[in-house]
Amino acid sequence: MKSKKIYWKGIGQLANSTEFVKHAHEEFAQPGPEEDLGHNRRDFLKMMGFGVAAASLAACEAPIRKAIPFVNKPVDFDASIPNYYASSFINGGDYCSIVVKTREGRPIKIDGNALSSVTQGGTSAQVEASVLSLYDNDRLRGPKAGRKRIDWKDLDAQIISKLNEIAGKGGQIRIVSNTILSPSTKAVIEKFKTKYSTTQHIQYDQNSQYGMLKANEESFGTAMIPSYDFSKANTIVGIGADFLSSWGATIANTKQYAKTREVSEDKKEMSRHYQFESILTLTGANADYRTPIKPSQEGALVVQLYNLIASKAGRATVSGGLENNILAKAADELWQNRGKALVVAGSNDKAIQVLVNGINDMLNSYGTTILPHLAVNYRMGDDQAMATFMSDVKGNKIGAVIFYNCNPVYDHPMGEDLGAALKNISLSVSTGFKEEETGALTNYIAPDHHYLESWNDAEPIRNHFSLVQPAITPLFKSRAAQESFLVWAGEAETDYFEFVKQNWQSRFYNGGEFEFQTFWDKCLYDGIYELPVDKTAISFNGNTSAAASAIASNYKSGGVELVIFENGTVGNGSQANNPLLQELPDPITKAVWDNYVTVAPKDAAEISFDESHTKMASISANGKTVKLPVMIQPGQAQGTIGIAIGYGRTKAGKVADGIGANVYPMVSMVNGSLNFVATDVKFEVHYDENYQLAQTQTHNTYMGRQSVIQETNLDKFNDGSFAKERFRPEVNTWKEKSHKIDPEKMTLWKNHEYKNHHWGMSIDLNTCIGCGACVVACNVENNVALVGRQEVINRREMHWLRIDRYYSSDSPADDWKGAEHAAENPEVVFQPMLCQHCNNAPCETVCPVAATTHSTEGLNQMAYNRCIGTRYCANNCPYKVRRFNWFKYHDNKQFADVNTSMNTDLGKMVLNPDVTVRSRGVMEKCTFCVQRIQSGKLNARKERRPMKDGEVVTACQAACSTGAILFGDMNNAESAISKHLKIRPTYADKPYVNDKDSDNPRAYSVLEEINTRPNIFYLAKVRNKDGANV
Amino acid sequence: MAVDKNFLVGIFEDEDVLINAVRSLRMKGIKIHEVYSPFPVHGLEEVLGYTRSRLPIAAFLFGLTGTSLALLMQFWMLGFDWPMIIGGKPYASLPPFIPVTFEFTVLLSALGMVATFLIVSDMKPYRWPRQFDIRSTDDKHVMAIDIDLNGTKSRTDITQLLREAGASEVNEKIFA
Amino acid sequence: MQVSSAIRDPLITGGKTMKDVSHDIGRHVENKPTRLWYIAMAISLTVLAFGFYCVCVLLWEGIGMWGLNKTVGWAWDITNFVWWVGIGHAGTLISAILLLFRQRWRMSINRAAEAMTIFAVICAATFPLMHMGRLWLGFYWALPLPNTFGSLWVNFNSPLLWDVFAISTYFIVSLVFWYIGLIPDFATIRDRAVVQGANTRAAIYNALSFGWQGGAKTWMRYESVALILAGLSTPLVLSVHTIVSMDFATSVIPGWHTTIFPPYFVAGAIFSGFAMVLTLLLVTRKVFKLEDYITIYHIEMMNIIIIVTGSIVGIAYITELFISWYSGVEYEGYAFYNRVQGPYAWAYWSMMTCNVISPQLFWIKKIRTSIVATFVLSIVVNIGMWFERFVIIVTSLHRDYLPSSWTMFHPTMYDIGEYLFTFGFFFTAFLLFAKFFPVVNIAEIKSIIKATSEGKQGTSREVDKTTHHS
Repeated sequence: MKSKKIYWKGIGQLANSTEFVKHAHEEFAQPGPEEDLGHNRRDFLKMMGFGVAAASLAACEAPIRKAIPFVNKPVDFDASIPNYYASSFINGGDYCSIVVKTREGRPIKIDGNALSSVTQGGTSAQVEASVLSLYDNDRLRGPKAGRKRIDWKDLDAQIISKLNEIAGKGGQIRIVSNTILSPSTKAVIEKFKTKYSTTQHIQYDQNSQYGMLKANEESFGTAMIPSYDFSKANTIVGIGADFLSSWGATIANTKQYAKTREVSEDKKEMSRHYQFESILTLTGANADYRTPIKPSQEGALVVQLYNLIASKAGRATVSGGLENNILAKAADELWQNRGKALVVAGSNDKAIQVLVNGINDMLNSYGTTILPHLAVNYRMGDDQAMATFMSDVKGNKIGAVIFYNCNPVYDHPMGEDLGAALKNISLSVSTGFKEEETGALTNYIAPDHHYLESWNDAEPIRNHFSLVQPAITPLFKSRAAQESFLVWAGEAETDYFEFVKQNWQSRFYNGGEFEFQTFWDKCLYDGIYELPVDKTAISFNGNTSAAASAIASNYKSGGVELVIFENGTVGNGSQANNPLLQELPDPITKAVWDNYVTVAPKDAAEISFDESHTKMASISANGKTVKLPVMIQPGQAQGTIGIAIGYGRTKAGKVADGIGANVYPMVSMVNGSLNFVATDVKFEVHYDENYQLAQTQTHNTYMGRQSVIQETNLDKFNDGSFAKERFRPEVNTWKEKSHKIDPEKMTLWKNHEYKNHHWGMSIDLNTCIGCGACVVACNVENNVALVGRQEVINRREMHWLRIDRYYSSDSPADDWKGAEHAAENPEVVFQPMLCQHCNNAPCETVCPVAATTHSTEGLNQMAYNRCIGTRYCANNCPYKVRRFNWFKYHDNKQFADVNTSMNTDLGKMVLNPDVTVRSRGVMEKCTFCVQRIQSGKLNARKERRPMKDGEVVTACQAACSTGAILFGDMNNAESAISKHLKIRPTYADKPYVNDKDSDNPRAYSVLEEINTRPNIFYLAKVRNKDGANV
Repeated sequence: MAVDKNFLVGIFEDEDVLINAVRSLRMKGIKIHEVYSPFPVHGLEEVLGYTRSRLPIAAFLFGLTGTSLALLMQFWMLGFDWPMIIGGKPYASLPPFIPVTFEFTVLLSALGMVATFLIVSDMKPYRWPRQFDIRSTDDKHVMAIDIDLNGTKSRTDITQLLREAGASEVNEKIFA
Repeated sequence: MQVSSAIRDPLITGGKTMKDVSHDIGRHVENKPTRLWYIAMAISLTVLAFGFYCVCVLLWEGIGMWGLNKTVGWAWDITNFVWWVGIGHAGTLISAILLLFRQRWRMSINRAAEAMTIFAVICAATFPLMHMGRLWLGFYWALPLPNTFGSLWVNFNSPLLWDVFAISTYFIVSLVFWYIGLIPDFATIRDRAVVQGANTRAAIYNALSFGWQGGAKTWMRYESVALILAGLSTPLVLSVHTIVSMDFATSVIPGWHTTIFPPYFVAGAIFSGFAMVLTLLLVTRKVFKLEDYITIYHIEMMNIIIIVTGSIVGIAYITELFISWYSGVEYEGYAFYNRVQGPYAWAYWSMMTCNVISPQLFWIKKIRTSIVATFVLSIVVNIGMWFERFVIIVTSLHRDYLPSSWTMFHPTMYDIGEYLFTFGFFFTAFLLFAKFFPVVNIAEIKSIIKATSEGKQGTSREVDKTTHHS
């Protein structure tokens, strides 16, 4: 109540603006509990004001950076009309160029920025989810000294004096950070260094690629990581490299990779992908030929491949190797496709990378599929420097350390020792926008903004720059870390925005036809600024024989071998407190809210395992023991186990704390770089300890049901035999001569006609890699509730869009018992499953109150406020895509810690105002983003024009980096979807009839035989395997 | 000022005797007011000369109303007032409407008929019956004869006739 | 027509006179209830109380208190619904169909059977109500009422809506039918009260009897009303379970989408209904000492019906299996393979044992005429019929088209609690009925004692001529 009063008084004062701003700032400075509605509402005003500022910025007017109260409504700002700002997602070395959607000044959705040639409009689950991290309840409200809150002034005073004191007696100062992409930030740090000469800046990465840096330094003279262009590759060989989900520039990789996987009657070419790996990764799941190997075999395998290629290229072979016919086959094809071939290895071992460089050099990959001139800056971490730093800390050689937005206590193998040693360091500062494990142990925390609140810039690829602009005024008393550095460095101009701007003026602005302001506004508007890079020829001179001998000595197979990997959901753990990611099913295991050890089925044969319960096991490696549940994982190499990093957080927040175990400490230094595998691991199962894993899918095979999944191989597709032989459901009838009839030809009634639009979707099972970005995007766009671990165990997750992952089985389809079991090393297919918007929808017929009916545009629509919750529709839905509100998921203590976006005032800021938050007891499901369709139609009407194709994009389509999802108007013959699917009205005389057929040879509708006439067509999966009949 | 109504009440033990009694008395020209039994005595209505009940017709008419109402309601609601595309089916078609129509027919027919029955037999919760003999709901058949309506015959004659017809006892009942 | 003959066993034993009949039945209403009655009442009230608690929690917290999930949207709720409706059918069937067929052995049991129908239907109705996510709206939104926002009508294509009409009609008509039957007996009790000088009771029962007098004309009308109600109830009772079966038959789910459901469900309903009638009557008979009215002959008759309907159900099961193979539809095939072999096979086989095998024991006259055996088997049959509905609903849903969505269903305390709630209600209601209402149709019994009770065998033939020349 009270805070509301304050709020209204605030409005009263709006008239007198300048005074109000001052006043507002003071009041804002009062620390309030997160429940304090007041300051959110006051912010709301400021955000609106800021919206004005940024909007006018985008419109190339004089920049206003102060949030001003909303006195007169600016021309281009309307409540309920979203504004979009180009910006960049930066999380350590991870980067994505984005467009932020704000409503009433609140960032509510993140889409890819198509102008960027780096990420090309793609996003990832982490990027899509990051908008919720902005409203994370566990964020710091302001700077802290030890446990106590403190003013910025005092904080600065104390830190500066301490720094001077330490610098005075020549004490060592260290700045520790993850890879820094921002040139301006680097410049800031330089300024700090010049002030404090004993300062050293150390970068490290959770998922390090230091081995590769060193390898490239040896091979080409420069420690860099090149760009890859998978789209140019006909033959791709991946050795332990999960390049679609955790290795390298995943978003770009995904886009390029998908290009090579598209096939149609016009494009008959398709890349062939060989993958050699221990655990079943997303990349392996998409490979044409996947070979499970032990991590200890990785080196030998690379040597073997090197020798195979070298013997073809007539170069000297090296010692060692390991026979493998599939590898031999791969080598032949690599050689045939010289210049169109690519070999990548995920190992962080210099020796392996040197050999891989050698292989790629022999295959003329450099300059074609590998672009060294476009060096990327994603992983600049230096494992050795970090190791030295650790030993220095332990040796009390460090006077002061500043952790810039990093959390080594948690995510560095030697984190525990660091944490223990920190108290011996006289000055330790952390700048994270959350306390986290490291901040909890430092003397001071000078919280940075969330990236959506801050100015910054980035150089992900050489000469490819992009800007980070705030989409909201800082929610709390945080301050740009760069500003902190400048203040501590005693700079006069400490405003980081000015600093970035000047930095850009001095670095990039080359006079030119228009003045700097225009140039700057343009960059801000686009979010990016890219300069041409001229190709530089490089020559390989790595010492392959030395590498081979290093491998021979370092790779000893032994006992159980452990692979420590980064999964596609919580990633390296920095965003672990984001429930969107915790409840995003792992693309492979479909597990949520949990960390587990994956075990090969053969190894697990003795562990009793069923849907209801599994066993716990303790794993010891590198002197560290963790206890985790066992997950049986088809496709995993025998004798290996896998554990994901990113779990076992203790100070991340309510959401993530206590989930799983932290396995970073199991990583060891080998051959000068962090080694993410371990051999001779102690693995013992506790048979007496049952555990239940939360999985959204527990049945792994599709039972050979061809009306669900249709697949073929490239040859069959190209020679047209697939089109002829493919599964087409038929109904027996005495009428037809053939006594067979296409079920869709049988109908009892005259069809309806959709006079205006007929929305439809096409989903390509071949380009869908199953990453799950669409699922997160759908959750954010449609305010989908998150239900937490227990409710997922109860099989009640609310996701409107899910990705079904099916393994192949060795048994034939008619052996029902056998078909239930996945193969040892299965083929994998991903099928995004959402409401099919059936024209003959079974759900509609059975609803007693007509709460779900069909729109005249082909949408199966759900009237929440009419629904009485009989669940009959869900029972009668053959696709099981309807979701019931079993409980009240909003404003309910029971779900406060898992469904943060609906249970705290802070979290609620992320909700999409255009989508109802569903109440308890009603049914819900995918709406084809009807709110986007409506706004598209309104815009068209305002501008008095027909709708353009591609004007309406569903959230899932926008988030899909591979373009597997395509949405559009099937009534419009010119639309992309009509062309892509070759849409044809079933009855030639009725162009608008709801029954439409696709002449695309790969197109099929799921469960065609029950004649639901879905508006979603799937394109059959094509595997590039020779001969093998699938 | 109501005039007293005098009745002679014959009590019968056995339904067969009763039926013969009614038959003979009516042949002798006695006008019988009504016969009360603990259970339906089959054939009694005929010897008493009652015409068949017309309740079945009422039931049929009510049923007919139900049918037409139900059909009208459904076609109007889904066909005209608010047509919706449901499962790609026509807005309104007969087959799915049959179950509701049937149920509604039965409902109206049953309720209507029962209501008619209660009304025509003047049965209501607050009505105390004019009982000629309390045992008529237990184990006795009771024949009531209105003396005034049988002017030609004397009280004793009727009593005599009743006795001859097999009445176990004959009482007099006067209602004010 | 000739309906009874001298050689048939007496329907009423012990040479009862009409007075005895009024007395034997009336006294339960007049006297204080027995200790047994109090004990039974206490138990059922306790069960009711616990059930009520579970219902409250469910309504307060949400349907999530049940064990349902994204794939299995119905389980115990609709299983219990169908089970109770099925049970209800026996009452109507006995009083209506057997009346049409002039089966006079029905007369001693139809009153109790009809009461059972009413209460069973009420129990059944609670489940469609409770299973709604938003009961507070659903209970009237499912009716074709114009809503406040203008015309927003119900969906007459939905079998669930057909249910709304079928169940409510069935309830109302059965109630009326039952009450019409009660009117003359209320009058009897009233007049006994007058004689005993219990004026309040007299007043109450007079009101209940609508001032019944029993004149020949009224009896005539009364009989034609009863006959027509019977004529209406017969198709009604068949339609109700047909429509219930359509909830499944009209869907697209393998295992539900089955054309033989209507007859199969109706047979099942009669099957379970008669079993339940037996269970109850054998108890009532003991508690209220009605051995002379509900004789072994009655029990045997009903057991024979159980053999017949049980066999029909058995044939239906086998037909389903055959068709699932013969149709060649892989989904149908798997659905039934999964019933027989899958994780819920135990439910399927308990169903088979209880419903198909156990009733066949009634071919043996010894078992057919044994009170104990009948009592046990009647309960077994009811268990079996509950499993039939569980098997149809859950095992069809939990593994349907897309294997990705396959789940298991595990009941929670609240699933069980809601079921107990209806049991508590049912027995409480039945005990109240048995105490305050005449449990046997006095008037009808009186009309047949002369014809069929012991001792007057000699005259029966002649009596038949006179009483049944209609």
